[in-house]
Parts: sequence; structure tokens; C-alpha cells
Amino acid sequence: MAVVCKLRSIIPEVPNLSPPSMFRPTAFSTLRRGFATQLLPTSKSPISPSLSFFNSVTGDDTQIPTYRVLDGVGKPIEGAEIPEITRDFARKMYEKMCLLPQMDTILYNSQRQGKISFYMTSHGEEAAIVGSAAGLDFEDEALAQYREAGLLLWRDYPLDSIMAQCFGSHEDSAKGRQMPVHYGSKEYHFHTISSPLATQIPQAAGVAFALRRTPSRRDKSIAACYFGEGAASEGDFHAGMLLASTIPSPVLFIARNNGFAISTPAAEQYHGDGIASRGPGYGVDTIRVDGNDALAVLAATREARKRCLKGGRAVLMEVMTYRVGHHSTSDDSFAYRARSEVEDRKRIDNPIARFRLFLESQGWWNGEEEEELKTRLKTEVMKAFKKAESAPRPPLGEMFTDIYAGEMPWNLKEQKEELKQLLNKYKDYDGYKKELAKFTKKGEDVMQ
Amino acid sequence: MTVREALNAAMEEEMIRDEKVFILGEEVARYNGAYKVTKGLLDKFGEKRVVDTPITEMGFAGLATGAALAGLRPICEFMTMNFAMQAIDQIVNSAGKTYYMSGGNVPCPVVFRGPNGAAMGVGAQHSQDYAAWYGSVPGLKVVSPWSAEDCKGLLKSAIRDPNPVVFLENEMLYGISFPMTSESMSDEFLIPIGKAKVEREGADITIVAHSKMVTHSLEAADALAKDGIKAEVINLRSIRPLDIDTIIKSVKKTNRLVTVEGGWPGFGVGSEICAQIVESEAFDYLDAPVERVTGADIPTPYAANLEALAFPETSTIIKVAKRALYRSN
Repeated sequence: MAVVCKLRSIIPEVPNLSPPSMFRPTAFSTLRRGFATQLLPTSKSPISPSLSFFNSVTGDDTQIPTYRVLDGVGKPIEGAEIPEITRDFARKMYEKMCLLPQMDTILYNSQRQGKISFYMTSHGEEAAIVGSAAGLDFEDEALAQYREAGLLLWRDYPLDSIMAQCFGSHEDSAKGRQMPVHYGSKEYHFHTISSPLATQIPQAAGVAFALRRTPSRRDKSIAACYFGEGAASEGDFHAGMLLASTIPSPVLFIARNNGFAISTPAAEQYHGDGIASRGPGYGVDTIRVDGNDALAVLAATREARKRCLKGGRAVLMEVMTYRVGHHSTSDDSFAYRARSEVEDRKRIDNPIARFRLFLESQGWWNGEEEEELKTRLKTEVMKAFKKAESAPRPPLGEMFTDIYAGEMPWNLKEQKEELKQLLNKYKDYDGYKKELAKFTKKGEDVMQ
Repeated sequence: MTVREALNAAMEEEMIRDEKVFILGEEVARYNGAYKVTKGLLDKFGEKRVVDTPITEMGFAGLATGAALAGLRPICEFMTMNFAMQAIDQIVNSAGKTYYMSGGNVPCPVVFRGPNGAAMGVGAQHSQDYAAWYGSVPGLKVVSPWSAEDCKGLLKSAIRDPNPVVFLENEMLYGISFPMTSESMSDEFLIPIGKAKVEREGADITIVAHSKMVTHSLEAADALAKDGIKAEVINLRSIRPLDIDTIIKSVKKTNRLVTVEGGWPGFGVGSEICAQIVESEAFDYLDAPVERVTGADIPTPYAANLEALAFPETSTIIKVAKRALYRSN
């Protein structure tokens, strides 16, 4: 791409690196020494006589290690340090980790009953999402992919707002314009979800650039950008990483490596060492984390965030987890993976159970509280669900708004006017009456 | 003032006026831009506001979109609009739709600008006109200026607009000088997006053009005048919103319409104008079929003799205008 025109501009400017004395005969030894130690003015690569190739960022052909704090029964592994955490903070994390699947189950089933068009669950990724959300600041700008509703729950985004979005009711802040799970809230610093994969990655570099440029937010907030290991195959990932590193900006890239991009297993998504191996290629501090260990994700996110702010630069976290649920309601994952594999993962490495065992070991949780929590959460979710289910849908006039900020263009005004005339003429006919009843204000906002 | 200087002045004035405005793209800073449109801006505003990027249209258009969503006002320069196809998802799907999808909560005030359409001798992949492409997208505004005055007034309006604006320049016009009025030299000179300009009044036939084709249309009008034909030439200025009212008014007066563009014929700007005219009351005023003068329906050839045949010239417009007037001489 871009060959002809770019050739015009790649004539290099003369670098300012070669002192004229290099070309004098008296400086011959300087020239020789320079030849021996420096490859090119544009490179600091040391010279080596060894004809060796490499294909590993660890230097010894092993895979990048995975940072973990808790073992399978919620005990710290040898050498691990438990991050600073209070009882209340840990309990809040646990509560949100439990709320997420409760909500998911109800909304998933509602799609199956035809009440909403689409849904995506977070089953199996509760620690990856809530753990990272808990390591961020409320004002950090989140640019999510689509499976990060847990971050909104952590920020106490109301269940009513979530349900209003999924049902596209009149209370949805996006006025029912996006398909389910495409949340967005300026107040909660959560950017509107964009369906095309990975567009949020270069945008995060831009959001972080803007944060650096805004005095009240500089050195206080970062952009936190989520994506899956599949999305990391998109050009946007590479473009976004490159941009965030060459135009330095505080972005925390969080790759949720959940093993599957719809049906494509991670093993077919890349031939190299996951997503983490790409970080150093872009000069970005990188860590791989056990995504089913809420404490490890929390600690890694806190440290990554600190580095983002301190250096004003990007950091990459690869969070290793397993998508227990189907990709979405449009997917049946048992067509490409064994039911037993999924059942095994749920049993062997359940992130919620692991964190609960840690809480119990600290004396911060017990069976009675567990029962009470489950009942309470279910009631809360059902209450919000029922409210949204029967709520009216957005007013008819919203068909024409927000396509442009500022004045409405003539073509939209014209269409709205045409609709107004039609409604005023036919509003009393049965077919029209029936249709208008579906809208808040029953079309009055257009007819006036 | 040349078109290049007018674009440069528009950016400089808006950068002085609003701290949030910044420019980014390949070689826009130290190299002053591939076509020197950003000349001197780095010296005046520094690296924080004139930002060189690596060669990834998808990346820096995405960065610009993100920065706009976060409250800044980026001007994103593409070395040519041909390369912006790598970034078209960001322009159409993100910049163009987020305001709507967010329920009117998150505007995206970004300008995507760069040379558009055929230059000379740059072949199939550097010669495309994107007016019709972007012109079809609700949520985007699309501007295709012709003169220096157009460029200054429209670029300033584009930068101040709360919406994403695709600003289609023309490489061959960059070095062309146009007279500027004292009004258009002012810091507060703005041309409204969505309004066409009647460059020359006439009663016999309406010629609608945009960008470089306005030059050819005016030349054609001069030649037609010698044969006693008074052509009205409309400079579209904006592709979206399209100022169809100005065209309707003109057609009702002249009863004949020829559209001129450098883009391809199919699903083009001329096709859209034609469709809107036949849907309007102007249809009853037409005394001849509407004719479209467009680029040839082929990828642009490199060889100079073939390339010359691929785009409308003044003589083509004269010929078609006469045909619309049923004139044989």
C-alpha cells in the first residue's frame, strides 16, 4: 500500500550523527572503532559473530511465564505475595463476580425465550474481568470489547441501566440504538461498544493521548482497553500497539485470552507465544497473568496501571482464562469442543470458587453468607429484568435524532415532516393505532 | 492565495483559536506534509499539536477517532484519500456512527482530510474519487472544495463542526492561486457546510460540478458563451449534506442539467443528483434528459495517453452541454 506517493517522501534527511572528522585521514582509528561497534546510525544492535536465529522473547525457548498468586484452593503459591486488600474490598469483588453469572443466566435465558435478540455471557471469565476492573480507578476510561459487563458491575452501574440497554427500552441512555451488551456510559467512563472487532484498540491510544493533553486528567487517569486473543489478530491491534508506543500514551491493553475466538481455538489463532510475546516487539512492558486468579489479576492491573501513569506509556497484560460459555447466543460451542472439556474446566478451575476459598481462609466469608448473597442477587436481577421487560420502547421521534450533532440536516427534517403528515392523516386507523402504541408518547412527539 | 496556503491558514487559525485542535498523520510535522499543506505548523505549535505518526492509516485514524471521542478536535491527514481505505472502518463505523449509537452522548468532532481523486500519472491505486463512497454514509459530513476561498472557509467550518467531516482536497489544485476577498482573509471567515455556490449565473443550462471539475465547467461555460449559450455553473462545495435546493432552483430556470465529476459513473455523485432531481418538482421543468459527465468506468491507467481519456475535460463538458441543448454546433 501507499507505494508511489510514499516513495516521494522517504528520501532520508541527512542524519546529524556523523561528525565531519570521521572522513579525515587522521581520524582513521575513530572510523575503524565506529565500524566495529556501531551497525548503523539508526540502530543500537551489538555486533555478533554468531550465526544464530531466535524465536522466543524469554531467550531460552520457554514460554513466557504466567503470574499467579492463589492456587486452586485459594492459598498463596510459594513465593507469592498477597496484594494489599481489605475485607470489604475483597467481599465487593466476590459479590460482583457472583452477580455477573446471575445476570448472565437470566439474560441468556431471556434471549432463548425470544425476549431479546442477542446476548453474550462472561461465564468463566469473572475473575479476569472483575479482577482487572478492581485494579483500575473509577475515572479510568474503559474501552471494552463486549464481554466486560463485569467492569460496569464493579463500578456500580445500575442493573436497571443494563437491562434497559438489553431490552432497548425508553430508559436506555443510548435510546435503544445498539444491540444487546453494547453498553456505553460517559458518567461511568465506559466507551460505547463497537461491534467491529478491535477498533477500540487504536482508539484507546487516542483516548489516552487526549488524557495526557487534558491538564485535569494528566497523570491521574489511564485508558484501559480490553480485547480477546482473536481480536489481537486484527490489524487494529498491531496499529494500536504501535501508535500507543510511538506516540506515548498511558493505555493498559488487557488481552483476555479465553481460548476461543467463536470456534477458532487460540492454538489456531497464532503460532507464536500468545499475545504477550508481541508486547516487547512494540517496546511495551508486558505481563502474562492467570486470569482465573482474581488476586493475581488485581495485583497485575494495579502494577500495570502504576507503570502507565509513571512512564506515560502503554502496558500489555495477557490474561489467561477459559470461555466456559458459548461465544454468544448465536453460537453452540459443543459443535467444536467437547462438553466434557467444558465441564472439566468448570470443575477444576472455577475462578469464583478459587476466590471464595481465599475469602473463607481469611475468615471473610461463610456458607450462610453465600446463601444469602445468591438469593439477594437473584431477586435484584429479576426485579430489574421485569422492570425493563415491560418498559415502553423509545419515542418515535428518536428515529431522526443524533445522526448529526448540531442542527438536523434538511433531508432528515424532510423525512420527519413526511412522517408527521402521514401520522396525522392515518393515526385513527387500527393498523396505525396498534403500531403507535409501541412507542413512548405514542408518536405524539412526531405529530406535533 | 493558493489552495495549499488557504488550507494551511485555515488550520493555523483554528489551532490558535482552539487549544483542542491538533493535527496528525504521516510526515505532517518535520517533513511539513507530503504535499506541504502543514508547512510551518510544527514550528508554530510544537510536537504536542502537530504529530508525526507511523505508517498505519488504521492506527492513526483510530487514534484520531479516539481522541475526538475523548473531547479533542483532531485533524487527521491522509497522504491521499486512497490510503484512507485502510482506515475506512474507523471513519464509517466508529467516527460516523458513535454519536448515534451512544444516544447522542458522545460526539466525534474529527476532520479526515487529504487529496482525493485523480492527480497525474499515479495510476489506478492513487487516482480514486471517494466523494460518492463517503457521501452515502449518514453520520458523516463530506466536503469537496474547489477554490482557495472554499478551502479556507470550509476547512474552518469542518474543524468547528461537532461531527466527523471528510474533507476531500485535490492534489492538482494545491498550487493554483485564487483571488481572496478581504472577508475571506479574516479569521472568522466560515463557509457553511451543506451549501453550494453558484459560480456563474446563466439561463440556458445548469452545470453542477465539484472540486477540480468546477475549473473545467467554468472553462466550458466560457466557451459556450461564445456560441451564445448562457450556462449556470454550480460549485457543489459539499457532497453531504447535498444542497439539492440550489440545483432544483437552477434547473427550474434553465430546464437542463449536466453533472460533472472525476469519479466513476456508477452510483456516483451525478447519479444521486439525477435521482433527486427526478424525484423533485424540477422533473417537470426538464426539457432534456439529465446527463452525467464522469470519469471512465475503469481503473485509472498510468500511460498518459490513456489516462487523459479517463477523465472529463473541458471539451467533453462543452460537447455534452450542447447535446443537452440539442445543438449540433
